Amino acid sequence: MKLEVKTVTKEFKGKIAVKNFSMAMQSGECVGLIGPNGAGKSTLLKMIADIIDPSDGEIVIDGKKIMKMKKEIGYLPQYPNFYQWMSAQETLRFMGELSGLSKDHLTKAIPKILSRVGLSKDADSKVGSFSGGMKQRLGIAQALLHKPSLLLMDEPVSALDPIGRREVLNLINDIKKETTILFSTHLLGDAEEICDRFIIIKNGEKIEDATIMDLLSRNDVKKISVEVASKNEQWIKAVKEFNFVKNVEVLGNKVEIEVENVQLNKKKLLESVLEHHVDLVKFEIKSGSLEDIFLKLVVEK
Amino acid sequence: MLVKKEFIQMARDLKVFWLPLVFVFLGITQPIVSYYLPTILKMVGGGQGITIDPTMPVQQGAEVLASTLVSQFDQLGIMIIVISMMAVVQTDKANGMLAFILTRPVTVRSYISGKIVSNYILLAGSVSLGYLTSYLYVNYLFSNVAVINMIVALLFYLLWVLFMVSFTTMISTIFNSPAVIALLSIAFLFFSRIIVGLSVAIDFINPASMSNYALEMLMIGTVNTDVIWSVLMTFVMIGFTMIITNFWIAHKKYVTD
Repeated sequence: MKLEVKTVTKEFKGKIAVKNFSMAMQSGECVGLIGPNGAGKSTLLKMIADIIDPSDGEIVIDGKKIMKMKKEIGYLPQYPNFYQWMSAQETLRFMGELSGLSKDHLTKAIPKILSRVGLSKDADSKVGSFSGGMKQRLGIAQALLHKPSLLLMDEPVSALDPIGRREVLNLINDIKKETTILFSTHLLGDAEEICDRFIIIKNGEKIEDATIMDLLSRNDVKKISVEVASKNEQWIKAVKEFNFVKNVEVLGNKVEIEVENVQLNKKKLLESVLEHHVDLVKFEIKSGSLEDIFLKLVVEK
Repeated sequence: MLVKKEFIQMARDLKVFWLPLVFVFLGITQPIVSYYLPTILKMVGGGQGITIDPTMPVQQGAEVLASTLVSQFDQLGIMIIVISMMAVVQTDKANGMLAFILTRPVTVRSYISGKIVSNYILLAGSVSLGYLTSYLYVNYLFSNVAVINMIVALLFYLLWVLFMVSFTTMISTIFNSPAVIALLSIAFLFFSRIIVGLSVAIDFINPASMSNYALEMLMIGTVNTDVIWSVLMTFVMIGFTMIITNFWIAHKKYVTD
């Protein structure tokens, strides 16, 4: 399986939601689509699920139009809405039959998938009485039922409480071994936990496509943070004069110093702290978190 | 399988029970009211200024049955059909089920035909049941109506019902507000029924003229031979509404984002 999105653009009445977006995914990958609200994540996933047509560009799976590859795609909408009057089992049977699965196959597969998502006990309850987390898990069951080679999930955990979130994240981690996953989120932590590759999207444009390791090493933060009990202007002035110091930022009692090379420069810096009799609270070498990188990418670019 | 799902849904909504009941009720009303009207007038009027002409011709069974179609089914009936069907596609659009269903390998055509077939079976069954009840009462209270005429008239009428179903489905697909859908469908269908007989050319393409043929069939026992073309034309109109519905969904015009 290979998913290719080729220079896709989507316009809604003059407003551009997705702009000239390209990406490719291989079998077995797990990709997190990250972006702030309104970045075009949902629109992009809807185009891949063939719910809306792109204004320009095309999306293919194994070189074939997605319209003909619907059996290969499992889609979980942002707010999965099922018929309220159907039970969980009926919902799965209905969706399964729509996917062209045989009755015999479904009779065997439905109990299995229900126990997998932890809904065995609620097989005969009406969907209308389900909680958000249960609906989301039913949605995942529905998306997995026909064993798709690509699973698309639109904000699978964003609307859930911490318990529901945990349940769904564990489930996704489990599924990841069997299928290719593309999912969107605005919560970086979720993506960090599940995926090893990220695509960051902002205002409909792709601004980053990298693995977590790449991202951390490329955006390595070379910063030393010094927390002091009281400000020492003299020392700050002295620090600014070092030729290896690139930037100094004072945030209350914290002084953040960007240097050329943390390993080589930290000793000099510490010496200067002692020299100026700075009332030191904390001397820390900052390692960049994904959150910082994300903010930096989204805000700056 | 989409048809099956529709039927389960109708059963849970109890639609399969109340729709036939309503039409049976409508079917009974006309013969009973017609039969007892002189008696009622006599009792209420009490001879104060109203004279019941004893030479007034007794109504024929066929007339009463025809007025069941024209004054009950074509008025209250249209409203009930439209109201029972106005949400047919609209709710699926509103709660995202339509988009969801179409992410599966299902053709738009099978989705639409599932909707139309299931609703038509239910409505045609209800209308026929109401009509047959009316027929029984008419035969009992008035003069007998020829069985053949009765059946042919029903078939004409059911074709008109099919148009109502496909038309309402189309409106339900295009518009998003239930009130607009109901108003537009009812207004259009009433209008079509009212203008029947005004012009031969319009009658030719007007599916509501089927209702008029049913009327003629009952009253006169024969219809104009041109009826074949008119029937074909009605099928064309029904096909046309389905094509528009199909086009609308296939080109994803329902997506409101």
